[in-house]
Amino acid sequence: MNLRKILAITRKEVYHLIRDARSLYLAFAIPLLLILLFGYALSLDVDNIKTVVVDHDNTDLSRDFVRRLNASTYFSVTAHLPDSRTVTQYLDHSRATLAIIIPPKWTQTIRADREATIQVLLDGSDPNFAGITRGYITAFVDRYNQKSLIEFLNRQGMEKIRPPVEGRIRVWFNENLESRNFIIPGIIAIIIMIVGAMMTSLVIAREYENGTMETIRSLPVSGNEFMIGKAIPYFFIALTDVLVAVLMGQVLFGVVMKAGFLLLILASSIYILVALTLGLLISVVTKSQLVANQAAVLITYLPSLLLSNFVFPVVNMPKVLQLLTCVVPATYYIEILNGIYLKNMTLAQMWPNYLVLIGMFVFLVLLNMLFMKKEGF
Amino acid sequence: MIPSNDEIIRVNDLEKRFGPFVAVDKISFSVKKGEIFGFLGSNGSGKSTTIRMLCGIISPTSGQGVVAGHDIFRESEKIKQSIGYMSQRFSLYEDLNPYENLRFYLGVYSVPQPQWMERISWILDMTRLKDVSRRLTRELPPGWRQRLALGCALLHRPDILFLDEPTSGVDPITRRNFWRFIGELASEGITVFVTTHYMDEARHCGRIVMINEGRIVATGSPADIIRQSCPDKPDADLNDAFVTLMARRVC
Repeated sequence: MNLRKILAITRKEVYHLIRDARSLYLAFAIPLLLILLFGYALSLDVDNIKTVVVDHDNTDLSRDFVRRLNASTYFSVTAHLPDSRTVTQYLDHSRATLAIIIPPKWTQTIRADREATIQVLLDGSDPNFAGITRGYITAFVDRYNQKSLIEFLNRQGMEKIRPPVEGRIRVWFNENLESRNFIIPGIIAIIIMIVGAMMTSLVIAREYENGTMETIRSLPVSGNEFMIGKAIPYFFIALTDVLVAVLMGQVLFGVVMKAGFLLLILASSIYILVALTLGLLISVVTKSQLVANQAAVLITYLPSLLLSNFVFPVVNMPKVLQLLTCVVPATYYIEILNGIYLKNMTLAQMWPNYLVLIGMFVFLVLLNMLFMKKEGF
Repeated sequence: MIPSNDEIIRVNDLEKRFGPFVAVDKISFSVKKGEIFGFLGSNGSGKSTTIRMLCGIISPTSGQGVVAGHDIFRESEKIKQSIGYMSQRFSLYEDLNPYENLRFYLGVYSVPQPQWMERISWILDMTRLKDVSRRLTRELPPGWRQRLALGCALLHRPDILFLDEPTSGVDPITRRNFWRFIGELASEGITVFVTTHYMDEARHCGRIVMINEGRIVATGSPADIIRQSCPDKPDADLNDAFVTLMARRVC
């Protein structure tokens, strides 16, 4: 291994990079765009649910019920409607996702100690959102009942009645359940795959397409020197992107890292190496920039997005897909990042994830060497 | 196998198969130091396969070979260091300028850094590319790119220069200049191994091997070859010889 040869290849690769506007765009503009898009648009939080109310009863009690609903951060009462037909229109046009219909003589029924009902209509076209909304509204009604019951008993002279069991819920690691705290690590994993794997998947294919691979083969350069020289610029680009993403997460979204910065750099470096070797492997195998790019999207980008526990929870997936997530590098990297970002974990707790990534890197390097040997290096 | 003193390339029974297809069928020949050696044949005759084996780009199926004192099976890295290779597409990096292309070659050939500036200006002078050394290679006309490719192959002062159809796609004047330059190189002691299918160019070679369907069909100086292949035609030229030799085996 000769450092001068490696650096000659690196220098050449940098020239290719700076003279190709598309790769610069891929290297720096796409990551920024992704952070902004995911950070602002992909909010998995459900609050301010658009709610419409039909109050047929129209008494102090029913108005109080609606007021309390509106006071909660989860619901926002946007309209009071005269009848159920208008409710249908609102739900049809997505102007509301939740409708509360209070029947006539509702207060009377309550006062008579009979079971009073309210009708709750939910827009189920987004099942995830509807499920969460249902949970919220059920909890709200339960609490309202509890409160009414206690008030009733207190009025009857039974003082200081308490509910028998009270769940005291405390959320750990992400106290306010903000999905941003979870999204930033996920975006970093995606960005590295795009910059690391998608960009490098083009670099060797490009040499084949331009006929320069023949020249490279005639030069006293080993396959390893060639690969390392090519990977170096992309390693630093990807690392820069990680730092930019961390900084943006902190400045724009207030996502603050809890554990060590060095742990982050270490994990990112290993994960970048995995991405780079994966990209180079795709490049050597496909030998065509177009095919390489398609393969890279399919093999690196999509699994990192879909099968890494980032957007879709792995526990809900069928067993086959769950097994598949075990070979997606992003799964382990995101777990490390969550440990660093949210749980303040140390290397002693997270080393298995580091080890898996290192194992993947070694495996990919060996595979690369095998394919380069087949190409006559 | 030990080649004799003045032989810089020596191959015996060199064979290359791609699956069942025999591209090069047990050929033997030698090249002397400082000569211009022509390797002639029609398309698909095994020319490029042979040159790629000699350059250490692909490894032979069987046989023996020594290039610049190094074994073609085991020492391809050393061979690559002591030869210069220019392929038919003069595959340069077109988004780099001539200066950057040369720097790249200096780096991969591990030329000591203090010599870089001297080598670069030597090549830029020789190839008359000094004025355009900062212009992107893709903007240069084909003839200029060809000179640059040649310069890149000579930058590390190789013992042997391998040229695989170096003049395909350039005009006659450029070709004539190119061959004049090759002659100068040979007179300085560099061995030139060249493939071509322009017979007027082959006249410049000291010795020629003609290859057809992977086998050698004639060896010798241009005059020898004409005499051997067309004994009954006193005014025959190399073109006639080529046509006769290539046709003989096809039928």
